[in-house]
Amino acid sequence: MSSSKRITKELSDMGRDPPTSCSAGPVGDDLYHWQASIMGPPDSPYAGGVFFLSIHFPTDYPFKPPKISFTTKIYHPNINANGNICLDILKDQWSPALTLSKVLLSICSLLTDANPDDPLVPEIAHIYKTDRPKYEATAREWTKKYAV
Amino acid sequence: MASDEEYSEAESDDSLYNYESRNTSVDLICPKNPNLTSDDSEFDIDEVDSSDYDEEDDIDNSLLATPVSPSTKKALSEGSVPNLKYECLTTKEIYEKMLKRINHLQPVFSIPPDDVLVLMQHYDWNEERLLEAWTEKMDELLQQIGLKSAEVNGSSDVRGIKHRNDFMCIICCEEKNTDTFSLECGHEYCLDCYRHYIQDKLHEGNIITCMDCSLVLKNVDIDQIMGHASSTKLMNSSIKSFVQKHHRNYKWCPYADCKHIIHLKDTSSLAEYGRLHYSPFVKCSEGHRFCFSCGFEIHAPADCNITSAWVKKAKKESENLNWVLSHTKECPKCSVSIEKNGGCNHMVCSNCKYQFCWICEGDWAPHGKSFYECTIYKNDDTKSKGAQEDPGKQLKKYTFYYRLFNEHEVSAKLDWKLGQTVGHKVKALQDRMGVSWIEGLFLIESIKTLNEGRTALKWSFAVAFYSDASHNLTKIFLDNQMLLAKAVEDLSELLQIKEPETIMKRKPEFYNKSGYVENRRTALMECGRDLLCKGICKPHDG
Repeated sequence: MSSSKRITKELSDMGRDPPTSCSAGPVGDDLYHWQASIMGPPDSPYAGGVFFLSIHFPTDYPFKPPKISFTTKIYHPNINANGNICLDILKDQWSPALTLSKVLLSICSLLTDANPDDPLVPEIAHIYKTDRPKYEATAREWTKKYAV
Repeated sequence: MASDEEYSEAESDDSLYNYESRNTSVDLICPKNPNLTSDDSEFDIDEVDSSDYDEEDDIDNSLLATPVSPSTKKALSEGSVPNLKYECLTTKEIYEKMLKRINHLQPVFSIPPDDVLVLMQHYDWNEERLLEAWTEKMDELLQQIGLKSAEVNGSSDVRGIKHRNDFMCIICCEEKNTDTFSLECGHEYCLDCYRHYIQDKLHEGNIITCMDCSLVLKNVDIDQIMGHASSTKLMNSSIKSFVQKHHRNYKWCPYADCKHIIHLKDTSSLAEYGRLHYSPFVKCSEGHRFCFSCGFEIHAPADCNITSAWVKKAKKESENLNWVLSHTKECPKCSVSIEKNGGCNHMVCSNCKYQFCWICEGDWAPHGKSFYECTIYKNDDTKSKGAQEDPGKQLKKYTFYYRLFNEHEVSAKLDWKLGQTVGHKVKALQDRMGVSWIEGLFLIESIKTLNEGRTALKWSFAVAFYSDASHNLTKIFLDNQMLLAKAVEDLSELLQIKEPETIMKRKPEFYNKSGYVENRRTALMECGRDLLCKGICKPHDG
């Protein structure tokens, strides 16, 4: 299976040249199940928090996208209570040329710049658009409560 | 029962996406119907605008104003459709029409036909929109769609297959001596990875790009990489999604394994058919007859509402449907059942591409600005129905009719099979009895009559279930139903005869019994329509 070779390669690249503010690696012996962590971007209300994600690689990776979800609770218009992420490159915009490291960086930038026009949680998106200070306060509160 | 098409994304590919031209001799199975071919052979996609669907009532008024002549009335009740002009096509034929259009348009574009094909694909085969965009911003368009590299660094790579020693492919991470492919962008991957990548995308019907940038793989590239004509598969699925998107004008034949598509150009009269409780029936070149409004098999005397209520009810009884009801919602536009298996509430129907919100089932467009609608849960107020019959009694009544419906469905399938082999029987008559082909035609006609009678009988049970049993007209309907049932069984028995000698001897009986079935069927259809028009038969959730 070529997927294991590719995942091994990504693992060694990740160790050699880790992306800023992210880390990732397998959980136990299972090469197809990883855990990742993302530091809350400093210019966002998530600053100071560490967010954990669970990653499952499909057997036909990289032709199919990895399944990624937050295991740490987070207040964000594009991430719901189950930790599901609404991100195009994890769905129809996935390309085999993308790597987990690139995806994690995209998630980081999603934390800085939410996409309230394609929300997963409409209520949060609504507050994000109409009352930004309130959104930021709640997001900070949640970060403090769940991610520190 | 006609398969209720539910398009899941996980459609297995080969059987569905292969091009297959059906060259069965159409004349044999369905005698040339003057309405079958449209006299206007030009292929317009422009008319396929779903937004302005049947809003002009003035057209329909003409239909209302003219008194329906007895012959038209008979024709309508018989299920042939005097006012519908349609054509029967396959995806291949639609594609060929598109190619013809492209050849025709070629002079307008200064680029190769393969590139025009990509443009057409991008614009959902809508040449008007494409031409508009083309005249506005030619170069920009080429770049935007990925037909021209955005980077103008001069040293562009050569498009095509190369052989490399010790090539490290960044997709599979294997180092090997291999053939590779790259476009002008220079993003080079081994052929195995490219094949896997393309194989996955062929059935989606979308334009396939380089894995790392937006440069487009044209059909020649795809065929070169795959080693055979795989691009036809892509074109086929692209046409399929075109058909799905324009489902108001194009309908798949609902019969299992039938790959025909009926194209109805002018849908303005469809609403009128529904209002008068007629159903607009069409016939594909395989001889399958189905209703263009609801996409079901021919279902007279029941109209579309009764049919859909009946079918829903039938499904409700099964385990499967329970799951569908609890896990899926119907697309607000095309009613395909959609399962939400993750992701956000911004839904795009894979069938008609309608974008809607999962929570409120409203159009997605206004959600960009306001989310108020989504927090309000949609109340299902259809449940609050007043006086209802005792549910136990209802169920009994339903089971009774459903059993009958089912029995005739099974018989109808057998009859259909019988019809497929009737050619051999006629052949046997020719060989053994020296009967001419024309003389033997009565057998084929009889089977046809039997099929039509059986189908009408089958659906009449749905009408019976939804009719007010106490009404006198319902009683008349039920009597008529019994007469048709008897007539159908008699004819069916007659058709079981195998010995050519006996068949020829009893030929007059074939004529008599067929004629009788035909009369009874017409009577039952009229009677059923009466029930519908007078509101004695109407759908309810019993």
